[in-house]
Amino acid sequence: MFDPMDDAIERIARHLRRAVRIDPALDERVMREITVLPAPDRATWVGQMWRWLRRPHHLTLTPLGGLAAVTALAAVMLLSRMDSKPPASREMESRAFQFVLVAPRATHVSLVGDFNDWDATRTPMNRAGNEALWTAVVALEPGRYHYAFFVDGSHWLADPSAPVARDEDYGAPSSVLTVGGGGS
Amino acid sequence: MGIGNVGTSDAALVRRVQAGDTGAYADLVARYRDRLGRYALHMLGNREDAEEVLQDAFVRAYRSLGRCNDPERFGAWLYGILVNRCRTAGARAARRARRFVHDSVALETAPLAAPDRLTEWDDTVRWALARLPPESREAFLLKHVEELEYEDMARLTGAGVSALKMRVKRAREQLQAMLKEVERV
Repeated sequence: MFDPMDDAIERIARHLRRAVRIDPALDERVMREITVLPAPDRATWVGQMWRWLRRPHHLTLTPLGGLAAVTALAAVMLLSRMDSKPPASREMESRAFQFVLVAPRATHVSLVGDFNDWDATRTPMNRAGNEALWTAVVALEPGRYHYAFFVDGSHWLADPSAPVARDEDYGAPSSVLTVGGGGS
Repeated sequence: MGIGNVGTSDAALVRRVQAGDTGAYADLVARYRDRLGRYALHMLGNREDAEEVLQDAFVRAYRSLGRCNDPERFGAWLYGILVNRCRTAGARAARRARRFVHDSVALETAPLAAPDRLTEWDDTVRWALARLPPESREAFLLKHVEELEYEDMARLTGAGVSALKMRVKRAREQLQAMLKEVERV
């Protein structure tokens, strides 16, 4: 179905897609600036190794050499399995945090943040006993998280009980939670 | 990122620069100047800032070229640097503006300035774009002007796909509201 407002957005986009001409003198300025710089950073050995690993290589192997390689690989796998301990669980590092919002008139509240890609569908909050409280519990690993409450599908609220993060880039209301390591 | 190349490939030019042929970098600058300049201009709203950021992005890219692990994707890599430089420049501009307007709450809740003199479509578009929050403007430009897929946008911006979809949706809604306001005047 034709929506005149979608048409308006398309008109804006088309207008902005027109070619823009930047002064070619910029090329000269860039080249002047870089000619006094040292040569580009050489790749670190890690970078060189990564590039080598991603390039296809041809390997020539005799049947005897192949057999030896397979045997050595099997031995390494066997030894590592005998020596291995259960890996530390990531769950062990995370701690549960309860988020609470007082919003008596809200009909739906979601918790959104860095921990759920700001996806309003992933962490819906539940009404607590007195109907005014909304809560959600999230397991978080140590780190610094920005988060907010998304109310009734249209309002973004920072947590009134937490430090406000006024993001310098974006200015959207959000709060900050810092989860320390070491179980403290 | 689909940027049409004619003649020598980006990868070949990057490898020449990495091997010490600094002059080859001029071809890369000329190839990407206008395309990246368009994004910077729309993002920052004025030509002077856009050219400054663009120049800075090209110089930073040159300095780090040894770490460009995938020369075939030089364009996308360079784009990522520019997007970050635009964010930094935008934040700097916002700080400058705050020195003059200290009452940020009053500023945010003030009604939109009546665009009574906005008679030209170009003025209207630039006025509306400038009023979008930077994160919405960034998402809108990458999606609808640069015509990137959400996965590419996520790689460039570091934001999740769902967050980017939300930002684009909000940008469209805000632009529509502003257009309605202009029509009423």
